[in-house]
Amino acid sequence: MATAPLARFPKRNCGLSSSDSVLSFLAPSLPTARSTPRSSVSRFSTSSSQWARDNNKNRGVSEVRATGLRKRQTLHVTVDDLPIPIPKEKFTTKIPVDENHGLWGFFNKEKRLLATPDEDAAHGRAWTVQELRSKSWEDLHSLWWVCVKDRNRLATEKIIRDTRKIGYGAFESDERDQTIRTTQRAIRHALTERWYTWEEARKVARNDPEIDLNAAVREVYLPMDYDPEVESDSPETEAEAETIEPEIAEEQPESETSENRSRKDRRAREVAS
Amino acid sequence: MVRFGRKEVYLPNAVIALIKSEHLPATHAKFRVPLTFSKLDLRDYLFHAYGLRTDKIRSYVQQQRVQHDRPDATVPQQNKWFRPKAIKHMTVEMDKPFVWPEDPESWEPWSKEIYSQLQDDADGRDKPATKIKEAREEAQTLAKQARELLQGKKRWRPTPVDEVVEEVDRDVKI
Repeated sequence: MATAPLARFPKRNCGLSSSDSVLSFLAPSLPTARSTPRSSVSRFSTSSSQWARDNNKNRGVSEVRATGLRKRQTLHVTVDDLPIPIPKEKFTTKIPVDENHGLWGFFNKEKRLLATPDEDAAHGRAWTVQELRSKSWEDLHSLWWVCVKDRNRLATEKIIRDTRKIGYGAFESDERDQTIRTTQRAIRHALTERWYTWEEARKVARNDPEIDLNAAVREVYLPMDYDPEVESDSPETEAEAETIEPEIAEEQPESETSENRSRKDRRAREVAS
Repeated sequence: MVRFGRKEVYLPNAVIALIKSEHLPATHAKFRVPLTFSKLDLRDYLFHAYGLRTDKIRSYVQQQRVQHDRPDATVPQQNKWFRPKAIKHMTVEMDKPFVWPEDPESWEPWSKEIYSQLQDDADGRDKPATKIKEAREEAQTLAKQARELLQGKKRWRPTPVDEVVEEVDRDVKI
């Protein structure tokens, strides 16, 4: 832009040689052919107007604008000369994978990428609380971990299915997931019930004269001598103490009330005499 | 030597997913974990649940895009905004390499062809290009029918509007 007025400046105002400049000086109102600019606004283009076009053959051909080749343009290579890409498997070494690798736990037992929808749908109903009440803690704990691992597998497969748009199977997977969650809920329910039962039993045992929670494991429950009057007075206490006895044996002894302790001292004296 | 935590969690509720990422080396594995999970949590979890020994762990929380209304909304409102919960990814370094299992030979059990076809149809249903294409196909079919009719290849018949009622008791004489 800056060069345009500079280039025209001598032509327009300081043209000394030509006679036009004298004429224009004498009669400035007369329009002259050469010295006066055709328009007062300078043109945007800096290229001189005497060239109809430049000699650049590749004018307008741009990689950025993806114009493609111009007419009759030839390249040094043809499509046939292009190298053929080698498949990735040819030059990559195969990595041996351990059969017992921990990450196989995120896949199915056959170590396939995905379980089919039919395989995911092949399951029964969830475990009920009624069935789980009679199970031991070890059983419930193992069942919980089976559930956790299966849910992890389903989450892994769901991501594969979603990202790669593999197809159907989301419904079956969700159904299975929901069943597993119901089982987990039942396990928690059974354990919570068990905890409350245990807590209530401990409260009862604290006030039971026949139970000593501070004693050694085998001496926690020492039944009194059989007395029909005592039995008729408090049959419930005896029955409860018997039922809770095996559970209490595992627990640590805890502090007891003073009333309870005095009762037990009395009993010890009786036994000694 | 890697140290583990001492807090005993008997009934973990976290769901962890293994994610395939092509750019990672075979000794690395990427997981999608709950937002509450820490690196130490993941290390303990992987070792005690899967017997997987991990070295270093990298963690990354991916913020999700804002979208119009909740995903379960039947008619999404334009003036309501909803941002899904962020996703936490962790990459662990393992002592042994692991390569993902290969793709199955056939996607037939998942009905992939039907699924993709239906997805494509659903995606392009309301697009103007699809409407133009459908209109053009209809016009071409109509032109073809007209041509066949004019050339005498086919005979015009009225379209049966009502079902043809067959008389069942035609043979019975009253």
